[in-house]
Amino acid sequence: MLAVHELVKHYPSAAGEPVRAVDGVSLRVRPGELVALYGPSGSGKTTLLLMIATLLAPTSGQVKIDDRDIAAMSDAQASAFRLRELGFIRQNFDLLPGVSAIDNAMLKLLASVRWREAQRQITPLLERLGLGGRLQHRSETLSMGERQRVMIARALSTGPSLLLADEPTGSLDSQRSEEVLELIRELCREHNVATVLVSHDPLAAGYADRVLDLRDGKLSEHAVRERPTAAQT
Amino acid sequence: MSLANLLHLYRIRLRARIVGECFALLGIAAGVALLFASQVASESLTGSLAQLSKGVVGDASLQLLARDTQGVPDSMLREVRAIPGVRTAAPLLEASAQASGPRGGRSVTLIGGDSSLRTLRGALVAHTELEPFAGIGAVLLPTALAHQIGVTHFGSEATVKLYGRGARAPLYETLGPRKIGGLSASPVVIAPLSYAQELAGLPGRVSRIIVAPALGREASVRRALLTLAAGHLNVTSTSYDEELFAKAASASNQSTALFAVISALVGFLFAFNATLLTLAQRRRLIVDLRRDGYSPGEVLRVLALDAVVLGAGACVLGLVLGEELSVHLFHENPGYLGSAFSLGSQRVVGWQAYAIAIAGGMLAALLAVLSPIRQVRSRDPLAALAATQTAARSRRPAWSAAVGVACLAGATAILLAAPKLAIVGMVLLVCALLALLGVALDGAVAALARAARRVRGAVGHVAAMELAAARSRAVGVAATGAVAVFGAVAIGGAHADLLKGLQNSARDENASTDVWVSPPGAYNLLRTAPFPVTAQAKLAALPGVRSVAIYRGGLLDWGSRRVWVIAPPAGAQPLLAASQIVEGNLASATRRVREGGWVVLSQALATEHHLHIGDVVTIPSPNPAPLRVAALSTNIGWAPGAITMNASDYARLWGSSDASAYNVRVAPGASIAAVAREIRAALGAQSGLSVQTATAHEAEQNALSAQGLERLTQIATLILAVAVLAMAAAIGSMVWQRRARLAKLKLEGFARRLLWRTILTESALLLAVGCAAGAILGLYGQQLLDRALANVINFPVVHSVALVPALISLLIVAGAALAIVAIPGYLATGVSPAVALED
Repeated sequence: MLAVHELVKHYPSAAGEPVRAVDGVSLRVRPGELVALYGPSGSGKTTLLLMIATLLAPTSGQVKIDDRDIAAMSDAQASAFRLRELGFIRQNFDLLPGVSAIDNAMLKLLASVRWREAQRQITPLLERLGLGGRLQHRSETLSMGERQRVMIARALSTGPSLLLADEPTGSLDSQRSEEVLELIRELCREHNVATVLVSHDPLAAGYADRVLDLRDGKLSEHAVRERPTAAQT
Repeated sequence: MSLANLLHLYRIRLRARIVGECFALLGIAAGVALLFASQVASESLTGSLAQLSKGVVGDASLQLLARDTQGVPDSMLREVRAIPGVRTAAPLLEASAQASGPRGGRSVTLIGGDSSLRTLRGALVAHTELEPFAGIGAVLLPTALAHQIGVTHFGSEATVKLYGRGARAPLYETLGPRKIGGLSASPVVIAPLSYAQELAGLPGRVSRIIVAPALGREASVRRALLTLAAGHLNVTSTSYDEELFAKAASASNQSTALFAVISALVGFLFAFNATLLTLAQRRRLIVDLRRDGYSPGEVLRVLALDAVVLGAGACVLGLVLGEELSVHLFHENPGYLGSAFSLGSQRVVGWQAYAIAIAGGMLAALLAVLSPIRQVRSRDPLAALAATQTAARSRRPAWSAAVGVACLAGATAILLAAPKLAIVGMVLLVCALLALLGVALDGAVAALARAARRVRGAVGHVAAMELAAARSRAVGVAATGAVAVFGAVAIGGAHADLLKGLQNSARDENASTDVWVSPPGAYNLLRTAPFPVTAQAKLAALPGVRSVAIYRGGLLDWGSRRVWVIAPPAGAQPLLAASQIVEGNLASATRRVREGGWVVLSQALATEHHLHIGDVVTIPSPNPAPLRVAALSTNIGWAPGAITMNASDYARLWGSSDASAYNVRVAPGASIAAVAREIRAALGAQSGLSVQTATAHEAEQNALSAQGLERLTQIATLILAVAVLAMAAAIGSMVWQRRARLAKLKLEGFARRLLWRTILTESALLLAVGCAAGAILGLYGQQLLDRALANVINFPVVHSVALVPALISLLIVAGAALAIVAIPGYLATGVSPAVALED
């Protein structure tokens, strides 16, 4: 369970008045729940994700995972948290160039299990993601959609309790976007992972259990929308 | 695109790639500096000899040369001058001597001439008046020598010792650079002919007559001189000494040239690694320019400007560094060659040294910068982009392995069948090293990946992935260390084997005596300066002395070689050293040489003159007589070759009963040092002879051998240092550039410590593979050089496999580079994971 309580991030500005990137956000995401977070550019979405991912220290407030305050973690603890309990999918595909799809996907697993075991664990996931025939292909030879699916496999490889997806469909066409969103939702349910999905894509709302709007650092909740079709977008 | 626009484009792009450009510039500059400094060192020896020779003979082109130190009667000058077509003929007495003063002494060449020498316009005497003081008996000294021995004022006296005589010679004048130019650093003592004859104890004798024929009359004058020489004198060109020196110094010069090439290669690899840092940017630029409609020619001009600026900057920096190196570190030490040739200590920098260094630097810059030339010339404007994406996959290990094996096979064929081509063999080994390195690295990475699968933890996996992903760069870095270690192990190993051989040779030479009594000075290290036998009986009567035998020796110009003639007393035990005989029976050869009429020739001499054991040979001594070849030997440590005979044969062939040394054996139970003191006391301070125990003489010979080969050690050390810095810089900058990638891994939860260990593992593997490959092929190279030194130049090499030095070179380079890399590695892993989100 992800619990964000009164989370604040202010940046000093030259004008004197601090920039309130995130301003008192509270949020709870249950295991298996997918929450879509919308908002215009500069609304604080990425800042919020970074704080949840232990990559940015909040000015005040708390982020708790299963009642553990992650803001109080040391660097080593934060690293261990990101390695084992967090999956992070990003728009710009953090794959290692020159490295095969399977090696990229099992990168996180290798820190805790032996290579054979990691391979055994990751292969079914990659096959399910439609990459069974592309396992040994280097990342730069994969299509955008394939790269995104490798990222999803890597994010889910360690069985995380929290999945953060930052614009996961930003570089994909509508059809690929639907496939990826469908996958994220399926896997989130199947693995019982609390998922926060930040997107501009109207399609994403259709796959979410809840939709939240973030404007000027403040959060407001919307009703779940009907899933729009690719044709409507 | 105009030049102004090209420069503008260069300037605006420079900021983004300044670090990479600086590394490339440093790399090429290091190569240029080493190339230049080693060239200057080689040229200076030959140059100083040529300068001095030209300074004495001026525009004379022929000479009538005595075959021994006794020279020819100066009355022969009249006959020479009478030859039709002789424009000028000048007598010259030259002799090796020891000059000393209040500040110390050094070996010099005594030059005696008369006023006719001035008409030949040699720089040494063209502006020097010899007549005014001819009657008073005084000498002229170049300023460097005058200051070195502390004889700088008119009338102050220098002691000149030669041929077993000593005399105090007053100074008339010092000769500075304004009068004799660079020759002011030459170790010569100039005297009027009559005074030089008096100092040498050779009244009415000259060592050569130099001749300037009239225009177009050289051939007829040469014929007339040959008739006059009648087979007892040599008629040669005045540059004969330079030819002889070139032969004597060829081994040393070839080693230096080889090192210079290896230096340049290390520098180039340094630069290549650095340019890899900016390769992606250059490819991007090619794509942008081609996409915007620029023609391949225009893109090429943009890249060519990059190369020219880089090359020019690197050449300027490299020449400045090289100049410093050559002045402070590589100043040439003539070593043992100084005992047979008049070598100065001045630096002679010819245009060739600049040309070779600049050409090497510009070529390296062009090769490094223009590496994406294929993509520039492609009709597809996006070809460079495709190359960036596929670069990591462009492997052809099978081809590389085939080329590597072929080069190894070529080197092996040279090792077994044609050691004369050792330099070609070394180049083939370097090619094999570079071709096989990629294969070795692939194997090592695969082995690391396999090993990582057996253990828990991501370090091995990530390291293997990263190395495989950046293969070209990894091979480039490993190649830098490989080539440096290869050079250091191969040349260092051969150098050590040669030194051991020379030490054995010195030990053998000193085995037949306890005390040497001979004219002093470094010039007489080979015991070639004669002196009249006057003290044998006196020394033999001293208590503690068992026997005093006469040893003779000299230098003989035979063809293109200045050969060392060794003539121990017939009763010497041992007469011939077992370790120096390479063909023939030691016992029968010893018996024959002892009996007389038989000689032992070094193998290279025998080969050159098509001689075999038992053949008759007539050597060009002053009184030539037929001899027979008893056995073949090494060159006894003297590169041009050696002839061993007994002392009586030498006296007969040279027509002189002079000795070159007394070999003193002490009585059983007597102290060698005490006997040496007694001999010194008996001879007196003015004797002109020095007394040295065989042990001290051996130590002096060993020190001089080591000194002569010191430059190789210095260059090897510098190459290793440059390689350490090059690899550390290349890996460090590679790691630093990888911060975004490291940030991505940190984003995924990889801890700093783990990433640092990963970087260290990668670096250690790269360094270990590169240096180990270099060390292994270096040992092979050592065998190749050993064989060439032993079979071609005939040195008494002790063959070995320098495993321990190879291991030390490997550990030093790999360890030092790893220690340096650990710092940027640690700093790079401190990158914030949030950096991965910034793109």
